[in-house]
Amino acid sequence: MKIAVGQGSCGIAAGAGKVYSAIESLLEDKQILTITGCVGMCFLEPIVDIYDNDNKLHRLVKVKEEDAENIVKAVEEKDFSYVENILISAEDESFLEKQTRIALRNCGKINPEKIEDYIKNSGYEAIKKVLTSMSPEEVIDEIKVSGLAGRGGAGFPTWFKWNAARQSEGKEKYLICNADEGDPGAFMDRAVIESDPHTLIEGMLIGAYAIGAKECIVYVRAEYPLAIVRLENAIKQAEEKGFIGKNILGTAFSCTFRIKAGAGAFVCGEETALIESLEGERGMPRLKPPFPAQAGYWLKPSNINNVETFANVAWIINNSGEEFSRLGTENSKGTKVFALTGKVKRGGLVEIPMGKTLRDVIFDIGGGIKDNKNFKAVQLGGPSGGCIPEKLLDTVIDYKELSATGAIMGSGGMVVMDDSTCMVNMAKFFLDFTTKESCGKCVHCRIGTKRMYEILERIVSGKGESGDIELLEELCYGIKDGALCGLGQTAPNPVLTTIKYFRDEYVSHIEEKRCPAKECADLLTYSINKDKCVGCSLCSKKCPANAISGEIKKTFEIDNNLCIKCGQCKSACRFGAVEVI
Amino acid sequence: MKGVEKLEKVRLIIDGKEIFADKNSTILNAAKENNIEIPTLCYHENVALYGACGICTVEAEGMPKLMRACSQKVQEGMVIHTDSERVKKSRKIALELLMSDHTGDCLGPCRLNCPAGTDCQGYVKLIAEGKFHEAVKLIKEKLPLPASIGRVCPHPCETACRRQMVEEPISIAYLKAFCADEDLKADTFRPEVQPDTGKKVAIIGGGPAGLTAAYFLRIKGHSVTIFDAMEKMGGMLRYGIPEYRLPKKVLDKEIEQIACLGVEMKNNVKIGENISFEQIKNDYDAVVVAIGAWSSLSVRCKGDDLEGVMGGIGFLRKVALGEETNMGKKVAVVGGGNTAMDAARTAVRLGAEEVYVIYRRTRNEMPAEKIEIEEAEEEGVTFKFLTNPDEIMGENGKANKIKLQVMELGEPDSSGRRSPVAVEGKFEFIDVDTVIMAIGQKVNVSGFEEIELNSKGIISADERTFRTNIENVFAVGDATNKGASIAIAAIGEAEKASKVIDGYLLGMEIPYRKPFVSEKEVTAEMFADKEKISRAKMPVRSADERKNDFKEITLGFTKEEAMKEASRCLECGCHDYKDCKLIEYANWYDINPARFKGEKNIHETERKLVSIERNNSKCILCSLCVRTCDEVVKKGVLGLVGRGFTTTIKPEFQGDEILAFCKDCKKCAEVCPTGALKIL
Repeated sequence: MKIAVGQGSCGIAAGAGKVYSAIESLLEDKQILTITGCVGMCFLEPIVDIYDNDNKLHRLVKVKEEDAENIVKAVEEKDFSYVENILISAEDESFLEKQTRIALRNCGKINPEKIEDYIKNSGYEAIKKVLTSMSPEEVIDEIKVSGLAGRGGAGFPTWFKWNAARQSEGKEKYLICNADEGDPGAFMDRAVIESDPHTLIEGMLIGAYAIGAKECIVYVRAEYPLAIVRLENAIKQAEEKGFIGKNILGTAFSCTFRIKAGAGAFVCGEETALIESLEGERGMPRLKPPFPAQAGYWLKPSNINNVETFANVAWIINNSGEEFSRLGTENSKGTKVFALTGKVKRGGLVEIPMGKTLRDVIFDIGGGIKDNKNFKAVQLGGPSGGCIPEKLLDTVIDYKELSATGAIMGSGGMVVMDDSTCMVNMAKFFLDFTTKESCGKCVHCRIGTKRMYEILERIVSGKGESGDIELLEELCYGIKDGALCGLGQTAPNPVLTTIKYFRDEYVSHIEEKRCPAKECADLLTYSINKDKCVGCSLCSKKCPANAISGEIKKTFEIDNNLCIKCGQCKSACRFGAVEVI
Repeated sequence: MKGVEKLEKVRLIIDGKEIFADKNSTILNAAKENNIEIPTLCYHENVALYGACGICTVEAEGMPKLMRACSQKVQEGMVIHTDSERVKKSRKIALELLMSDHTGDCLGPCRLNCPAGTDCQGYVKLIAEGKFHEAVKLIKEKLPLPASIGRVCPHPCETACRRQMVEEPISIAYLKAFCADEDLKADTFRPEVQPDTGKKVAIIGGGPAGLTAAYFLRIKGHSVTIFDAMEKMGGMLRYGIPEYRLPKKVLDKEIEQIACLGVEMKNNVKIGENISFEQIKNDYDAVVVAIGAWSSLSVRCKGDDLEGVMGGIGFLRKVALGEETNMGKKVAVVGGGNTAMDAARTAVRLGAEEVYVIYRRTRNEMPAEKIEIEEAEEEGVTFKFLTNPDEIMGENGKANKIKLQVMELGEPDSSGRRSPVAVEGKFEFIDVDTVIMAIGQKVNVSGFEEIELNSKGIISADERTFRTNIENVFAVGDATNKGASIAIAAIGEAEKASKVIDGYLLGMEIPYRKPFVSEKEVTAEMFADKEKISRAKMPVRSADERKNDFKEITLGFTKEEAMKEASRCLECGCHDYKDCKLIEYANWYDINPARFKGEKNIHETERKLVSIERNNSKCILCSLCVRTCDEVVKKGVLGLVGRGFTTTIKPEFQGDEILAFCKDCKKCAEVCPTGALKIL
């Protein structure tokens, strides 16, 4: 019998800490209580997993503090009827059942704070195999066979980068992990580090061996404190076990590990800016060429991969590259983790083989759209990505296919939008992000994204002028051509794809001064339907601008000169009398 | 082995030109070695590659993305385009974006408002420094008649002068006349004339436009002949402007300066009478028609054909030629412009007892110079505002009375001036011997019938090429397009046309294009802390004395007065205009940053550090100063602060902290591609 409380950041935010304490205080045999990381079912947190004596899993969801008593009873009396009400439904279980987990294989299963748990699940087998039976070239070949590509977004073949770094002259080389996960709505890497840090360490050790690096650096954003703590702990444990340090596993291979906490700049997720930041400089991208494989950290050959990329490596070594390459499409091998969020019923971490469609992820696994609304678009790849409309929902998840839509695979952010989302406003949201996160170095990004934002702002506030769409497009292509780094070059994507697929919404804003999704406050008019109004005065009381007047039990009216379009009247009215045009 | 490596060359093609370049060189350097200029604002050989400006982008065949020429190394077989449409578009957008967040005045408002674009700020500064000859040299880059024009110009430069926001404009026109007079006294500036090109240019009309065209075309080495119908050169400056405003001795000297460059001047030649236009066209490679507008417009009222009614410029011309005017004792001048003032004041000097100016609006609407109106009044001219000739009455075919319709001001017309409306049934009468019509000029095109005219009967010339409908015939000045204007406008046209014609003669004609300049908006508050210093008053002879003769009214500035007056200049235009790479490139690509108008980073105060002044509003964040201080000087005093659009360079140029580090080597200012850093 074992009780595991999911303690990822998401679980803790939902109250898993309190649930854990409550169970702990009631439980007699405290030995059976443990923690685990994040299983990826954000919509069901906090989650408590009970493994009975037959090691059968009873998963309890949306657990509250007060459920602790029943949980303890169920465990102590071996009677799960006590917790029947919080047992996961079959439908929700399908969220995991429909996934194929490689990178997330241990997430939510093992205790991330115990190296023994990892070792029990074939942990550190791969590094043993590599160090004792494979040459670095053979490792690179195996990765080449697997078809693994960079999961940070660009999808560059991992073996190629490793090989380039290996071929680069120089004794001193570095292996760096990019864990500066900055896309809004993305949390795949955080989940891996918080839930299975040793997977990352093992993947990096294999990479370090392959390229000939003696030092591994993990660049984690400081906003991930729990991930940093768990990774520090994991590094310490791995050092104690002899997986990190001098003469690892008694071989000639030595390698050290350290963590560098980023200071919160999005652009530091760009590999050359990350290197600048590592060196203590202002986080600004460098010109490429030279590429990091030639002259990276301290101008030494360096290889940088994303967390998820490394999380696949040990599995590939253990199960063979060929096995990995069986999953996916011709162009994209293996699986991909997505952080499914937005207006979807079941949001969380989804790992599926490449080749599935967007519809599979959003409707089959995610359960479709919340609150019986209609699907409108899905944003892939965060601020660098694009919006994909309903007609392209059957697009296959594959680097090439997704690029063809104007979006990108990206690092895995997948934000689902329903028909109440204004696409122009959405584009503005992402531009606001890139404008603020621009490092200020190159002209196109520093001033260009700002100008794009200003044009979008004028469109959503009803001051758009005809010609603005064309001006935006011209600016977009100019920025794509001229910006120095990936952040700037991809910043126009949300605007370009929304113009491509939702041009009529832009036109409505500009020509008719109307927001079809009724989201842009400046373009809305609130009024009270006299036939529905009963004169309860609630709207008038809620109105912060004193814009609603009338007599009790007669009808009320909104003064549009005073109305600030906050929508409080509409949410307050119980008779649906407040209408928005 | 390294030596061998160095010799390794790769072959590539840039803009269709086969090039062999060192395999380690960048596209930028390989192009430069082959005289192909790729623009860049952030590259400098002394510091590490940076890649911020994005101006140096080039296109390589087979590559989907544009590349930065500063960092991309040459590769065997590369086919590079540095001027493809995509490249131009990319550079244009980059420059437009840069300019959309660049705040400063390239040029002062004085220069921008001068139709000839004379560098007012530049020569005023030279005058303030006592460098009078240098000032004239600078003026003569645009205007070959400064002593004359300085006296007569209605000075749009002063109208625009920003010193008014403090108290009064700089006396730019008189300063120009002052330094030109100084220059004419001794060591007169003479431009270098380029070797003969063998090309012949005929200029028809020796007025300000014709003389200017002759001056600039001669300097370019062309053989120039001016044909003029009058007995002397100078056109309206000689025959339309009275002696008391412009002594002809001064004009003669300036014309002599042009003649001695080798310009042939033929007077008393009237086209169509003494020589046919056809012959000139055939004998010369290019012909410049600069015949001016020498006929007066009439009010067209009853009696305007009586004896004693004459045109304003005709009257002035007679006086200039020393002919008898028979004007009598009572003279009425109709019109409110400078010609009307000239005619009225000339009439005073010729002994008229009563001189009236009849103008249909009020003093406020008069187009004449304020000083001219005041001086005319001092000399005894009577102004009849809000009146208009209704009929000129006479006896025996000779005018003796005008019937004046009384007017009042109505609604503003298209020019913004309130238009005069007749007050029904209200008339006045004045006794006159002569009525002078000075209400406008028209062009007399006889002899030039082949040239196409516009709907107003004026010669039609392209505004960018100055071409007429005839292949080798160009036209400038009062005789073209909008008709008569001020002398400096004709001079400006002639100067621009001379560049086009020079190109035409050498087979590479480039039409004139108004250059793009950065301009900033200013308010009076910005000048609140400036010390008020009044404008120097030009000393003039008293009215009682001057009204009896034609001697020059103004007495001129002393050197001290001129230098003091010149030192009032606020120096609005950027010190770096001539060397600024940003504005140079902006004009390569014909940019329009207004389409990206938005928020700007404006840094109000200009900080000074020992001998460097910084204006961050002009900074384009190329970071050359930061990098030079760091990598070359090894001081690292400067750095980038903030992110995105608000990024700026710190620390501020003040305080002891920075002084402790800065060694005032000025290297930062030397590499600045714009006017953001200035060496004091």
